[in-house]
Amino acid sequence: MKYVDFINERIRSTVKKTNNLVLFGQNISAGSCLGGLTKNVKVKTNSRIINSTNSENSLCGFGFGMMMNHVSSIFFMKQLDFLLLGIDHLVNTYNIIRSVKKDLQSSFTIMPIIIDNGFQGPQSSFNNFGDVCSIARVQGYTISTKFEAEKIISEKLCAPGFRIIGVSQRLFRDDIIDIEPLLSNDDFSLIQYMQGENATIVCFNFSLNMGLELSEECKKEKISASVFNVTSVTPISWNEILTDVKKTKNLIIIDDSKSANSACDNLSSYIAQEIPTNTIIVKKQINENWLNTSSDQMELDYLNIIKQINK
Amino acid sequence: MNISNNNVFQQILEVRIAQLLLNEEYKAGKFKIPIHLAFGHESISVAVSRIMRNDDKLILSHRNVAYNLARIRKLKPVLDEYLLRPEGSNEGKIGSMNLINPELGIIYSSSILGNNFGVAVGIAMAERISLSSNVTIVLAGDGAIEEGSFHESLLMLKSLELSSLVIIENNEWSMSTRINERRHSIDLEKFSDSINVKYCRLSGNDPIDYIQKLNELRAESIEKNTPILIEVDVTTLGEWILKNEENPDGKKINYHAGPTPSVSLDDENVIINNTTSDPVHVISKMNDVDIQSLTKPILDRFRDEIK
Repeated sequence: MKYVDFINERIRSTVKKTNNLVLFGQNISAGSCLGGLTKNVKVKTNSRIINSTNSENSLCGFGFGMMMNHVSSIFFMKQLDFLLLGIDHLVNTYNIIRSVKKDLQSSFTIMPIIIDNGFQGPQSSFNNFGDVCSIARVQGYTISTKFEAEKIISEKLCAPGFRIIGVSQRLFRDDIIDIEPLLSNDDFSLIQYMQGENATIVCFNFSLNMGLELSEECKKEKISASVFNVTSVTPISWNEILTDVKKTKNLIIIDDSKSANSACDNLSSYIAQEIPTNTIIVKKQINENWLNTSSDQMELDYLNIIKQINK
Repeated sequence: MNISNNNVFQQILEVRIAQLLLNEEYKAGKFKIPIHLAFGHESISVAVSRIMRNDDKLILSHRNVAYNLARIRKLKPVLDEYLLRPEGSNEGKIGSMNLINPELGIIYSSSILGNNFGVAVGIAMAERISLSSNVTIVLAGDGAIEEGSFHESLLMLKSLELSSLVIIENNEWSMSTRINERRHSIDLEKFSDSINVKYCRLSGNDPIDYIQKLNELRAESIEKNTPILIEVDVTTLGEWILKNEENPDGKKINYHAGPTPSVSLDDENVIINNTTSDPVHVISKMNDVDIQSLTKPILDRFRDEIK
């Protein structure tokens, strides 16, 4: 099943069971319905679907206002870049809610599409989902696999409180990664998909498919690798990864986000403090053409990475 | 003077006297937080409070003190909040600019200019989803209408057919600049007409007139499921004189925040400015209101509250 179709199916299944729910965003039930993300979504009679105005700042306030007044909502957003217009609400409005309205049972979720498939030009090149989450310690989740879609959408999309759930446009037409996890923490922010003896691969933002491919390439060289996916930037315990690294002595971090400060730096510094490790960090390279229209894809030199692994 | 009007005048004096007492505490250096006093905003704040029905919602800005005082009609919970005491109306956690009182309908106050418009649309939408027949009232100053969220939110309120009163307190100043020092004028009547939103202007600080008009507008907003834009002329009292190289003779600057040294508590006379810009002066001229006889019991009550 395609990535976007599976996520759409999970959204439809979750919202049709929820009372007093407002779904809103530009063209969410018109045209392509955000590339299929919100296609055929139906809500209960006491809920509403609103094809909204193009007013991202006020639309963020709109969701928080409903939340404060005990009505749950989901803001589906065509591009993560648009959320930059609503940062004031993510920081200031949400802080007030957290400060004085702790017992709210209503929910507000923003679900942006991260436009990471290139050829967008200087604009729309903002792909680091973690940036918007870290700015005010907002809970946020990226979805890369079927397991993550099932768990994060069914348990987080309409849960009390506020969070952001990001999906990758680059993955929309790919088959969704269907792999059973070996381990997940309680809020699905750290998930282990493979267990190995020689290397620990940790993937950030939307780089899990590259991490899984790297593990396959490692197998050809008789290197077995553990693979973890970090779906969130809110504070995470790295203990599971540390335990794995103590065994493998090799840490490979993959992060496809473009920001200067990445969540993966937090992990690498933590591991460096705890145990001498051969750490290989693979980040998206920013070159002189980064503002020009281009494919904008992160390329991994798998053989070069494998050469750096201590056997 | 009828009894009902007398209660309104008394409430205006409460808001004035409470602020005078807060200003004295402020001048004495008691507060660590910034406070935006609202001398001169008493008539509109009392009128808004008076027209609110049980489940109406009031969404405020950083200059919310007059509305909070008009709703709660006590000084101590507000003073304690400003002193960051646990007994404060928000447990001493949020101070002045975000002061709320959900039990009295004040759901949200924002310290960020224009931030509260979008939140108000959401609050009004929740009222619609809950099938209630209330009105959501959102307040901001003339500086906030320069923010894009004002335009966005008024359009959303109209498009979603949400009962709401959008009240713009126009004091002609944003911090230290007059409107004509920072931007072209905005004709709110023409602006609202362009999206078929009714516009009304209130001026003169007559609280009885304000209450009557706001009551009518509230009813119309609910009946027609529409926002109504209301511009209120206010003068925020407590101006000061700026003297510098550019202004060697001194330039009058409107009060923005902090203590106002130019205003002092006088037990005998709580009028700040003998003009129509002072709501207390306005009511003193109405129907032979004896300000002094109304003032003393309020002062005694507040002093007793906070002693």
